[in-house]
Amino acid sequence: MKFRTRFSDDKVGRALDVTAGAPSFEATLEGVPLSGDALAVRDGVWSLVGPDGRQIEVSVAFQNDGSVRAYAAGCLFGFELLDELTARALAATGGRSTRRIAHVAAAMPGRVLRVLVAPGERVTQGQPLVLLEAMKMENEVKSPRDGVIASVEAVAGKAVSAGDVLVRFEAGGE
Amino acid sequence: MSAPRLLIANRGEIAVRVIRACRDLGISPVAVYSEADRAALHVRLADWAVPIGPAPARESYLVVEKLLDAAKKTGATMLHPGYGFLSENAAFARRVVEAGLTWVGPSPDSIAAMGSKTESRRRVLQAGVPIVPGMTTPARSAEEIAEFGRENGFPLLLKAAAGGGGKGMRVVRSAEEVPEAFARARSEARSYFADDAVYAELFVEHPRHVEVQVLGDATGRIIAVGERECSLQRRHQKVLEECPSAAVSPELRARMEAVAVAAAKSVDYVSAGTVEFLLAKDGRFFFLEMNTRIQVEHPVTEMVYGVDLVTEMIRIARGEPMSIREKPVPRGHAIQCRIYAEDPAHGFAPSPGRILRLRRPQGPGIRVDSGVEGGDDVPLDYDPMIAKFVAWGQDRDEALRRMRRALSESRVDGIETSIPFFLSLLEDPDVVANRISTQFLDGWSYVPKRPPEDVAAASIVAAALESMDGAKKRRPPAAPGCGSGPGAWRTARTSFGLRE
Repeated sequence: MKFRTRFSDDKVGRALDVTAGAPSFEATLEGVPLSGDALAVRDGVWSLVGPDGRQIEVSVAFQNDGSVRAYAAGCLFGFELLDELTARALAATGGRSTRRIAHVAAAMPGRVLRVLVAPGERVTQGQPLVLLEAMKMENEVKSPRDGVIASVEAVAGKAVSAGDVLVRFEAGGE
Repeated sequence: MSAPRLLIANRGEIAVRVIRACRDLGISPVAVYSEADRAALHVRLADWAVPIGPAPARESYLVVEKLLDAAKKTGATMLHPGYGFLSENAAFARRVVEAGLTWVGPSPDSIAAMGSKTESRRRVLQAGVPIVPGMTTPARSAEEIAEFGRENGFPLLLKAAAGGGGKGMRVVRSAEEVPEAFARARSEARSYFADDAVYAELFVEHPRHVEVQVLGDATGRIIAVGERECSLQRRHQKVLEECPSAAVSPELRARMEAVAVAAAKSVDYVSAGTVEFLLAKDGRFFFLEMNTRIQVEHPVTEMVYGVDLVTEMIRIARGEPMSIREKPVPRGHAIQCRIYAEDPAHGFAPSPGRILRLRRPQGPGIRVDSGVEGGDDVPLDYDPMIAKFVAWGQDRDEALRRMRRALSESRVDGIETSIPFFLSLLEDPDVVANRISTQFLDGWSYVPKRPPEDVAAASIVAAALESMDGAKKRRPPAAPGCGSGPGAWRTARTSFGLRE
């Protein structure tokens, strides 16, 4: 099975072709052959042993945006992993861009302490939009993009659940 | 005669810590739990457990009546408050004493005196303890704080009068910033301590936070048990603590210990307590406050001095003299990392949820104090600290190496934790060389480390295999007869439900 993969700080992605699955996997990563013994210890936890005996324990978690978060050898890192068809479709439509972000949602349940923007307001990436209280801490929810606020759904003093829309952006322009 | 019972008015790792002290003393522990904590480890380790209401602390762990009722219902004769919640609430301590219970802590009067930032300053000043200039009464308005700043200079630090643990604190660098910071500090103080009184003091730049552990008993004896270095703080919350402080010479230690004992004596202190100091670069130190309770970071002192502060607290509360005969001497070095359920790669956002797997570090020199195990949920309603890793070594270098080993060995799946942050932090040359201050982490950002190529390749392959249906090589199921079917447990459980 063919994949495209890309680390967040890499400009270009790499091709992964898995020709044999576990237990004795065989694959090529951008032409480099990889093989070994792969054991799914449990969901999301793998132990890989290479032909030279190198053992690496990996935890992987698939994120809502299609990326993967991995933890291995003390490193926490993320990468994209798309099967080739999806990767091609995305490339054809110009890929992902912050301009396409239509709204900002609460990442966790909490309580809205203050709303810091109003509809019609022009905001820049990183600008605080809403002040949320969760786990006894005040957290600033920052804008993921430049844009214009279309509507504010967050209400000061109200509880929000994870995924609740806080602020919507006007379509298009940065 | 049945074992005496002690109620722990707390949750999480400190409740588990007090339960362990109870076991060591032959005391039967009583847990309380909110609706969010029915399945929590501290409940399952206790002999008795009483529900005290909904998840928000204000409706459960902070409700005095419910805690006293729980003690009455279970026949508890002692109460340990842990840290946070009502641990430094003099009115609560008084109610506990009036209910005929033994309060495991200092007297309500000592708590009240040290709990009031203004009264504590007055008392310790009389005892000759140096302090940083600060307001002598809580601020009634933002203007009052701005005025104090104009007289004494900026920056200022806003603090919750009823506070502790860094909650409700704000740095203000100019008079213009005062109104916003004042409002926020009050809001945090109100939600965490149910008291929005806030005051301001001068902010000493690039100091170390060094604190001295004290222990006093009913005979009037008060001893100091060394210092702790707690300079590594994020958002005014300690994240890593050490014992001893590498910045404190034996001569300075002796002076700080003498001043700490004088501060404790100024309120006739009985029980374990901590006198916090700001240590300036020139070696001067100023009294910050006294925490009239057990501290989160007490294990580093226990590891280095070979004492058990929690069992001493209970002994002392029962009116016994402390079991420490001679002043304890330090041996080696200990470091503690506070492991939080938060995502270091996304601005340390809280990461509540279910812990799918938890592999704790073990082995020589490692101690783990934790309130959760694998399969447990980390609720959103409370402090996100899930564990404390403590590493002891013959010297600081060995303690650091062991802490790195402990952090690399552990695995937490299902939620994000601050473990990768600590692995990076402990590689920082300034941390290794002990060039730190309380502001060190303000200018330090966690940059996720790019994995070596073989680790990256292995992770990509693992993710691809995980996503491919049927590509998994699973572990074979457990052998038949293991852990299933009717067994001895089933027949034994008929006796459950009987009470003595």
